Amino acid sequence: MDVNIEIYLKEEELKLFKEIIVNSIKSRLESVKASIGIVALSGGVDSSLVAVLSKEAIGDKLLCLIMPEENISPQEDIEHALELVKKFDINYRIIDIKGAVEWFKNRFDEIDFKDKNERLAVANVKPRVRMILNYLYANALNGIVIGTSNKTELLLGYGTKYGDIAVDFYPIGDLYKTQVWQLADYVGIPTEIVRKKPSAGLWVGQTDEEELGHTYYEIDRVLYCLVELELSVRETSKILNISEEAVNDIYRRVVASEHKRKIPIITRLSRMCLDKDWKYPVDRH
Amino acid sequence: MNRILKAGIAQISARLGDIEYNKTQIIKGLNLGKEKEADIVVFPELSLIGFGSGDIYLDKVEENLEALKSIVEETGKLNIWAIIGYVEKDERGFFYNTAALIGEGEIKGKFAKTQLTNYRLFDEKRYFKPGSNLPVFNTPFGKIGILICEDVWFPEASRALTFRGAEVIFVLSASPFDRGKIDIWDDFLKVRVLDNIIPIVFVNMSGIQDGVTYWGGSAYYSASGKLIKRLKLLEDDFDIIQIDLEEAKRLRRRDIRVREVRREILEEVLKAYEEMSKWM
Repeated sequence: MDVNIEIYLKEEELKLFKEIIVNSIKSRLESVKASIGIVALSGGVDSSLVAVLSKEAIGDKLLCLIMPEENISPQEDIEHALELVKKFDINYRIIDIKGAVEWFKNRFDEIDFKDKNERLAVANVKPRVRMILNYLYANALNGIVIGTSNKTELLLGYGTKYGDIAVDFYPIGDLYKTQVWQLADYVGIPTEIVRKKPSAGLWVGQTDEEELGHTYYEIDRVLYCLVELELSVRETSKILNISEEAVNDIYRRVVASEHKRKIPIITRLSRMCLDKDWKYPVDRH
Repeated sequence: MNRILKAGIAQISARLGDIEYNKTQIIKGLNLGKEKEADIVVFPELSLIGFGSGDIYLDKVEENLEALKSIVEETGKLNIWAIIGYVEKDERGFFYNTAALIGEGEIKGKFAKTQLTNYRLFDEKRYFKPGSNLPVFNTPFGKIGILICEDVWFPEASRALTFRGAEVIFVLSASPFDRGKIDIWDDFLKVRVLDNIIPIVFVNMSGIQDGVTYWGGSAYYSASGKLIKRLKLLEDDFDIIQIDLEEAKRLRRRDIRVREVRREILEEVLKAYEEMSKWM
């Protein structure tokens, strides 16, 4: 089978995509008459890209929250976040979340961190604490929260439910990770931010690719075949010359995380069940 | 002798369900057209009610019909023609994605979209019935055909309008941006022009609704297949084009594509279609 795997964006597409995303950020804020847009800035490439595009869209209405966890978040990330806000003249606050995370951890006496589920539960507290802070600022300042998840993460379910994926909209949610890197380069994000190993920062030394078991290059090519070209696992494996097992591993993640991309299932009792039958636009004028 | 139709392309961003806002945009476009001495001003698909899947349509149809009446009055006062996308309601209460041809202070004709889109983000069959007629309309400045968006992705519709003597086809659209979309549209429009040796004017919506970008980029292709004018991408724009209604006649004289169409072959197409219906 001869298929074209065109993940990489051409120069003219980068220009157009950038303009569309900037317009969409501006339009979301206008639509809800928000006075401010909040971006949680980690110092990673996704949030840096969203911050820079938001700055272009809404200027001083952008507020970035840098929310490291003492002794866990790499110093490098904090420095990168600060470098970015300085370079692009972005309003920001730094809030350490250590105390809040500890407080939640201490509410659960039986925890001993040996069990994998327990470790994950505690790790998930961190993005959820950040989410609460995002909405504290957003509500207090008549703002909305601008999400930083990309298409690769959303498809893999690589995000914390009601944590980092709990936002008001996803301006880069239709861009694969490899496209995020391209666009980040295009808008002038410092190379050290674009090139460093992606990490969700949930524990010391964590990297996405190690945790996912595949490189983003490989994941994106597989997802592109499965999602954009609507090919089967077998076809994808053949075209990319990757084992069926590896493709299946990625495919299973996509299927298993559907619940993270939908509102919670509602038990249907009427002919106008709100998650199934009802269809109303979000942008009302 | 040259017969030139001066048409205004009003690339506007209609807001879904905000009839008052859309009406104001349309009236602004009509006035701009008048100022620039256009014979006719053409607006995008569903420009009066907005485009997008939303049950909001159901509440807003009456209001959009009322607004259409006042727009018709306005065209009368301005003494200008217009093509406007709106939702029509028939005597049984069914809705249609429709374009009204307005002139001399009245509705001169209506065209209902024949190919409703119902894949991926589109959900038109939830609201609309398809039209099944492909009329052409006589105006003081020439015979015109109207299609709505997906209608032009099928060769039959523009073919029928050509056979009925249309001298230009206006394609009203609300095309959502996705990767490669601009090139696909460019290809389709050019192919229809080349199939039929007829000028085509593509009038697309701009703006954003629920994260969907309507990409604008309205365009005018002359009968020879040349892209003569492209409006701005993504944002609202207005431009006047001068459509040469004689060019097609000149070209067709020395070209067999329209002149030599054979009834036997058209019948063969219909027979082939019946055969396809059996296995598809």
